[in-house]
Amino acid sequence: MTDTLSVETASIPKVKRRKAVDWDGYLFIAPYLALFLLMIVTPLLIGVWLSFTKGDLFGVERFVGFENFARLAGDPIFREVVWNTLYFVVLTVPTLTILGLALALALNFQTRWAAVLRTIFFSSTVLSVTVVTLVWRLVFLPDGGLLGEISEALGQTPVAWLNDPQLAMPAIAITTIWWCLGLPMVLYLAALQQVPRELYEAAALDGAGRWRTLWSITLPAVRRTTMIVIVIEIILQFQLFGQPQLMTLGGPNNATRPIVLFIYETGWRQWELGYAAAAAQVLFAMIMVAAMAQYFVSSRKEEA
Amino acid sequence: MRAMRLHPAALTLVIIGAVIMMIPLLWVLGLSFKSNAELLADTSRVFSPPYTLENYLNIFGNGEVFRWIINSLIVSLGMTTGVLVISSLAGYAFARLDFPFRNLIFIIVLLGLAVPEQAVIIARHQMFSAVEMHNTYFALIIPGMATPFGVFLMTQYFKAIPKDIDEAALLDGASRFTVFWKVLLPLTIPAQATLGIFVFLTAWNDYWWPLISGTNKEMFTLTVGIASTQQNFAQTEGLGFLMSQAVFAALPILIVYLIFQKYIIQAVAGAAGR
Amino acid sequence: MSGVRLSRISKRFGDVTVIDQVSLDIEAGEFVVFLGPSGCGKSTILRMIAGLETVDDGEIHIGERRVDHLKPGERGVAMVFQNYALYPHMTVRDNLAFGLKNVGTDKQVISKRIDEAAQSLEITALLDRRPGQLSGGQRQRVAIARAIVKEPALFLFDEPLSNLDAALRGRTRLELAQLHQRLGATMVFVTHDQVEAMTLADRIVVLNECKIEQIGSPMEIYRRPATQFVATFVGSPRINLLPVTVNAGTDDKAAIALPNGEQLLTAIPMAKLPEGESFTVGIRPEHARIAEDGVGEVTGTAEVVERLGERCLIYLDLGNGHKLTAEDRGGSTVKAGDTCTVKVKSSRAHLFDSTGKGWHAEGE
Repeated sequence: MTDTLSVETASIPKVKRRKAVDWDGYLFIAPYLALFLLMIVTPLLIGVWLSFTKGDLFGVERFVGFENFARLAGDPIFREVVWNTLYFVVLTVPTLTILGLALALALNFQTRWAAVLRTIFFSSTVLSVTVVTLVWRLVFLPDGGLLGEISEALGQTPVAWLNDPQLAMPAIAITTIWWCLGLPMVLYLAALQQVPRELYEAAALDGAGRWRTLWSITLPAVRRTTMIVIVIEIILQFQLFGQPQLMTLGGPNNATRPIVLFIYETGWRQWELGYAAAAAQVLFAMIMVAAMAQYFVSSRKEEA
Repeated sequence: MRAMRLHPAALTLVIIGAVIMMIPLLWVLGLSFKSNAELLADTSRVFSPPYTLENYLNIFGNGEVFRWIINSLIVSLGMTTGVLVISSLAGYAFARLDFPFRNLIFIIVLLGLAVPEQAVIIARHQMFSAVEMHNTYFALIIPGMATPFGVFLMTQYFKAIPKDIDEAALLDGASRFTVFWKVLLPLTIPAQATLGIFVFLTAWNDYWWPLISGTNKEMFTLTVGIASTQQNFAQTEGLGFLMSQAVFAALPILIVYLIFQKYIIQAVAGAAGR
Repeated sequence: MSGVRLSRISKRFGDVTVIDQVSLDIEAGEFVVFLGPSGCGKSTILRMIAGLETVDDGEIHIGERRVDHLKPGERGVAMVFQNYALYPHMTVRDNLAFGLKNVGTDKQVISKRIDEAAQSLEITALLDRRPGQLSGGQRQRVAIARAIVKEPALFLFDEPLSNLDAALRGRTRLELAQLHQRLGATMVFVTHDQVEAMTLADRIVVLNECKIEQIGSPMEIYRRPATQFVATFVGSPRINLLPVTVNAGTDDKAAIALPNGEQLLTAIPMAKLPEGESFTVGIRPEHARIAEDGVGEVTGTAEVVERLGERCLIYLDLGNGHKLTAEDRGGSTVKAGDTCTVKVKSSRAHLFDSTGKGWHAEGE
């Protein structure tokens, strides 16, 4: 009675089991997979190939090896647009990160006013680049623009922000910060809401003051988010395009021309597709380096 | 209830910041209600009457701008529907079905998230040129449907549904398609809403691809249309008219945002935090 | 109503065999409980019967029908899940109707069955609510009702009580027993809770490490545990185990020498015991009572006294690392630190050989 676990060796006739390999899943992923291959993988590969080619007058590409990349390295304009892009990243990313954290700290309350203010600070994020640039061109316009009107009211001479090589990029940076501030704010808000309330209660019982709590509890808790915010913003701001294309056309004197605008103009103004594709590969590589940094930083943080 | 309150100085700073956020928008809104003739002479009296609706009436009288709005709607709704359908199908398969190379394919799709637009846009443009498909709704809609984010989001969401729900349905004699269609899909409605709104926003605001693909004025989206008329706006005689277009481009989005704020913030934070 | 026959079924996940050639006959109308610790394979067997896991080897019959190649929905079984697995977006009524609609049952039949089931489980008032609006106990009832309306050949329960609080669990247990009596249906129930197994089962199947340890009625399992594992897994407080040496006593019964040298005469026939083995004696706490007159076989120091009201449990240290749990009356005067003498009812002792196999007195 104790042993129904028979180990007799009498053979049992085999019945056909349900098929071991099941391909049905491909029916479900096929539509997406087709799009993915056609719209992402294929153009990515063609893009790599294009970057090694040069089109002749009849639009026929021929393979030129690393010629495009060599030309990029020696192209003073390309060097300038890389510097412009880096300058823009330096202007925007730290500001966005710090302002995003500050806003999140200030607005992490369950009150109606905090909710209204959160709504306001995020609202610009949902606007399109054309609306944003239209608004801010009007702000920066010396003659009849918002800042111009204000300085005239204060008895100052209006500044032509977008026509000044020194001020054009900062103006674009201000526009961008106004536009993009919502994302770091909500990322920080999400992180702050993950901090267990018990931690704050324990700190309060330990007699920690407002600054002490911020320094010892809150900031360590959002350290990982800070890394994520910085890397996301680096990746996003590296891809600066619409703002200068619409506000300054890259001018004055190339002062606001970033890499993507260079790609756009090389590709669709000069129709040098190979050269544009090569520049795109360089930018892709720069973005990948930033993404790798994110990966390493976040995986190291999880171990700790 | 946390007793902590914002310091008055900090509160003041935040309110000043909020005003800075709002003023440019209010200013554009004000301009859009001003007659073009008045603005040509003086733009400084934005916040005082007289106001007029002529710019908005002009939009409906202007076949071109009206067409752009319709284009934007067709492209955004088309892309949203497309992404929801294919992402739900793929998300279900990645989360629930077992098929060869599933994990490998999923990882490759996720790697697609890292591919920036610049890396594919030149070749994409060439591909559509080769089949002479530019200036079609098809060309405006299809590339945006390939976003891996939808598949990623739906897969995560399907995975979060307890598996015993499927099993209960299987025991209830449901076919695999019935399980997907009648049991699981209705449970993903929150994710569908999040994803749908996010795709709609992205499509409505998209600039670069419609700029180079829809080059005929008839195929402009509103975003591209506004860009085309703003090139020389300082000299334009229709400043108020341009501003009313901007309001038209921004208002639906802002209303969608105000209604679905929760979903949008979820989606944006999700897309960023992936 | 039909029985179930498992014939040498096996299940492998990759290289790991989780069910190894298990055979079992369940009679029509029987309530069988699979009892075992987590990871013992009990849920896997249940899911193989349901068709939620494929069967790598062997056959499963429900009634006369071989089912191991059929889809879950075609096997005529209903299952109640641990987390109930109600469809969250459907009303209770739609939850109950879903399975019937899928097989094309007539509308009137569906609503009649739903009304009957709802009435018997007292959930009529809940029919238009969604699962999210129900309490845990109510969800449990809906899950059971969903199984009943299908009028299945076989009910499967996968730890259905483990998410209920203690009071509700006790009540639902009773109701399940009544349900079984009323329907007379074949039921297979998986649990790790010995009380559920003892109270509900016609027969218990004790599983450990992918194998069946014992199949038997609750009292057989308790009184004649086939293995040392079964003896320790069933019974609360746990059975006492002490290493002993065995020698021939009077009447061909085995006598044992406890670690302290004390000799006891068991009721276990000496002749059957394997020779040259080392043995462990198993004594349930109710057979080891504190001797108030001081006459007994074992002496130890009380470490903890647990008062349960009608009785007390005394945890004793016997020295040399040996422990013993003994019982005393509810009004026991024993305090921690006291030295106590225990009277062992040695005729109820069990012996386990070095392979863990159990040896018992004859009869009963």
